[in-house]
Amino acid sequence: MVRKLTERPSRIAVPLLILIVLWGFVVGPRIRWIFAALLIVGTAAAFLTNGRYALRRIMGIVPIMLVVSFLVFGLMASLPGDPAINILGPSATPDAVEQVRTELGLDQPFFNRYGDWLGDLVMGDLGTSVQRRQPVAEGIGQSITPSLQLMAYSVILASLLAFPLGVYAAYKQGRRPDRVINTVMLGFFAVPNFVIAVNLVLFLAIGGLSVFGTRLGLKILPGAGYVEFGEDPVEHFKRMLLPALSLALGQSAVFMRLLRSDMIGTLRLPFIDLARSKGLSTNRILWRHALRPSMFTLLTVMGFSVGALIGGAIITEVIFTMPGIGSFMLESITRRDYISVQGGTLVIATLYILTLVMVDFLYLALDPRLRTTGGGLGGGNG
Amino acid sequence: MVSQIPVDDVATRADTPSAVEAAEAAQAGIPGARRRKRLGILFWVAVAYLTLLTLAAIFAPVLPLKDYAKTFRGTSKDGPSLTYWLGNDGAGHDIFSRIIYGAQVSLIVAFVGAIFALLIGGSIGLAAGYYRRRVDTIITAFTDATLVIPPLLLALSLILFLDPDAERRIFILILVFVLLSIAPIARVVRASTLVWSEREFVLAARTMGARNGRIMLREVLPNVAPALVSYALIVMANLIVVEGAVSFLGLSVPPPTPTWGDMINKGRTDLDVAAHIALFPAMAMFFTVLALNYVGDRLQERFEPRESVL
Repeated sequence: MVRKLTERPSRIAVPLLILIVLWGFVVGPRIRWIFAALLIVGTAAAFLTNGRYALRRIMGIVPIMLVVSFLVFGLMASLPGDPAINILGPSATPDAVEQVRTELGLDQPFFNRYGDWLGDLVMGDLGTSVQRRQPVAEGIGQSITPSLQLMAYSVILASLLAFPLGVYAAYKQGRRPDRVINTVMLGFFAVPNFVIAVNLVLFLAIGGLSVFGTRLGLKILPGAGYVEFGEDPVEHFKRMLLPALSLALGQSAVFMRLLRSDMIGTLRLPFIDLARSKGLSTNRILWRHALRPSMFTLLTVMGFSVGALIGGAIITEVIFTMPGIGSFMLESITRRDYISVQGGTLVIATLYILTLVMVDFLYLALDPRLRTTGGGLGGGNG
Repeated sequence: MVSQIPVDDVATRADTPSAVEAAEAAQAGIPGARRRKRLGILFWVAVAYLTLLTLAAIFAPVLPLKDYAKTFRGTSKDGPSLTYWLGNDGAGHDIFSRIIYGAQVSLIVAFVGAIFALLIGGSIGLAAGYYRRRVDTIITAFTDATLVIPPLLLALSLILFLDPDAERRIFILILVFVLLSIAPIARVVRASTLVWSEREFVLAARTMGARNGRIMLREVLPNVAPALVSYALIVMANLIVVEGAVSFLGLSVPPPTPTWGDMINKGRTDLDVAAHIALFPAMAMFFTVLALNYVGDRLQERFEPRESVL
């Protein structure tokens, strides 16, 4: 029994991951801890399944992180304007400017500053924002929860839409249902998500258009604001539905198109003919046999969009007035709080990279060929 | 002179991937696979829309449009009428002429941004895909690293840090958009170059003693170019969306110049009483992005059947 389990850690890991998510919802909105727990369990499972593959992926993070941190720091350092003057205002005396510069370490050469910053980063210290009078890590910690929730809900919604549609479209390839689904989805793909958001607010939150005296639309959902899950779960989901939906529609179009095209490829393979000749039902063939090998490109892209959503939902957060990391970043940028911008960008990029690594680990659960040590394919590294 | 004409150009055209795949597909019994797909009526509708919009934006000053900055008294929030085709916004501006003038900003920024990104990203990708090894490793590390920073975040910080008082916003916008598009374009070109520079005719050119630069420009680039151009259209569509997002936050070209995103944002406060103020610019943006995506998509499908997914 025990040996069997170590042979297929995904058997324990997957239920465990589900448990963690459920636990997160029952215990409270500490989504940061859930994210951390997911990372740990995922990594552990990957190491147990194929240590070499997992190690290679983990080690791959280091150089990317170095380049990213260098880019972020270098970009911020090379911007024109003196941060000390930004903080003190244009009427500051040269002495005061000099003092702040020393305090911020700006009198040091570039590589010394970069080295110091990197050293602090490793210790989890992102610096202290002068404008906010608060450690950057604290500010990010407060604002990341709504963003991660929004990201999770919209990816779930997008998958709920994309999987059935993609599978169905692939099954009906080239025929009318396929063409209809494709056209509608290209439409969703082309609408910028803030346009979707405005329309959702219009038709679902404030009662819609008035055409010749009749209202075309509903007034059933709140159009803005954020309520913590722990405070009022029902209200929480009500408030999250529109923002999540406005992000999900565009995502689902991308997911659906990828799934469809990979699925069409899979359905041409001989093992599908075999399954059909065994007399299996169409549903079983589509969902149990064809879906799994058709999911790889989709997974990679899902990883990308999860990562992009962590920091890329700025507009959505602004429209729905959510206190997420997007709002945090926007505020930092407009206040010229460059320490927060630096730290925030790096955190977002790190979460992005970790998500991509997790996707690589998910391949282990999906593709048996990768489970053997030294498994040839090497997975798709995005 | 004659020996300088790349013989392989003609010879390989017969077995470009599309031809090979079409033959395979035909063998597999997929109906209509052998015929080269027609572009279809929708394609031409999209092209016509884009041409019309571009012409309107270019010739806006000489067209009989109403002054976009003028407040027409007593017309605030009026719906579409014969005098004001798409109605008026909260301040009594003519929405139709604001959409046309707004197209100027969107199109210029997206077009110029995409062109420069194409030149820079294209050469970087070509170099990475052709030279491989160390060049490739370094370039890929940098493109991958920029791809993990959310584009809108990068755009906003650069815009506000480089140009806090909006003095030369349009140049900064273009600069930022070029920076944003280099990495994705470089990736696409690199992937395509990797495939093409493996081909026999590249080897042939090399054995004939052609220099690297010549091989890249004369042998590889012509084959990579079609996919590149169609991808550039999709990049343009993305840039229009990003410009929309930036102007939605009020950080694009400062008023009185109208921008689509700003119009949508301003119209948001009147959604319940006069939804057309936000909806018309939103539709203009939607159709432009849709048309660019569709045209790019169809072209890509035609040039490179395998990679037509995204």
